[in-house]
Amino acid sequence: MANSIKIRSQRRGGYTEVKLLITHPMENGRNRDANGELIPAHFIEQLLVKLNGQLILTANMAGSISKNPFFTFRLKAGNNGDRLSAEWTDNRQNKDSAEHPLD
Amino acid sequence: MPSARRLFLQHSGILITGVLLAGKSAIAFAERLAKHFAADEFATIYTQIIGQRPVINSDKINLILPEIAEDGAVVPVSIASELDGIEKLYLFADKNPTPLLAEFELTPLIAPFLTARIKLAESCNVILLAEHNGELLRTSSWVNVMRGGCGTG
Repeated sequence: MANSIKIRSQRRGGYTEVKLLITHPMENGRNRDANGELIPAHFIEQLLVKLNGQLILTANMAGSISKNPFFTFRLKAGNNGDRLSAEWTDNRQNKDSAEHPLD
Repeated sequence: MPSARRLFLQHSGILITGVLLAGKSAIAFAERLAKHFAADEFATIYTQIIGQRPVINSDKINLILPEIAEDGAVVPVSIASELDGIEKLYLFADKNPTPLLAEFELTPLIAPFLTARIKLAESCNVILLAEHNGELLRTSSWVNVMRGGCGTG
């Protein structure tokens, strides 16, 4: 699951806007494939966002978040060289993480 | 057909809850998540989350959604507020098989602005609860869904 996370940040007046795009099927377990078989549930359960290693945002979710989850949020501050990181865990205990330096 | 659908939803709910619980029933946190994100009636999940706490309808939290969603599989939602110090956000869709869409835990470093993309099974009310200074604030928004996004999306 390497490189499933894309992080972008943009400094605005007084805050830093962060965009987070994750590649993940987010199957809720209720969809059927072409043969009519149920597609097993496969979704991200938790997303953790950290700034310089400190937890700043937690998102808990299930299969009602759209495929390839996309989140935007705003940091009140954000300095050059701050390290923003994101890591997710899904219901199969797969994990991935990425780090993004603010500029 | 409503009874067949209900039966199907109930069974799929039991299955999903079973799968969620099976892997890590030992962990209280995982259990809480599985309960919150169980497939059940909206009222059941909502009541379980608010407990005995009073809920205040508030225009200090804003929920921005399209009035008409062409594709229920991808519905953009924005949450914004003028309040500082919101600790937690709960987002629900009252007609989804899994009514709780997401829980966000915020810290003081995060400004009260968030966007996401959600699935809506059918036309429904989307409800936002915000925990702020020990109070639960609520707002909601009706969305007309043209093509459902949970069973098919």
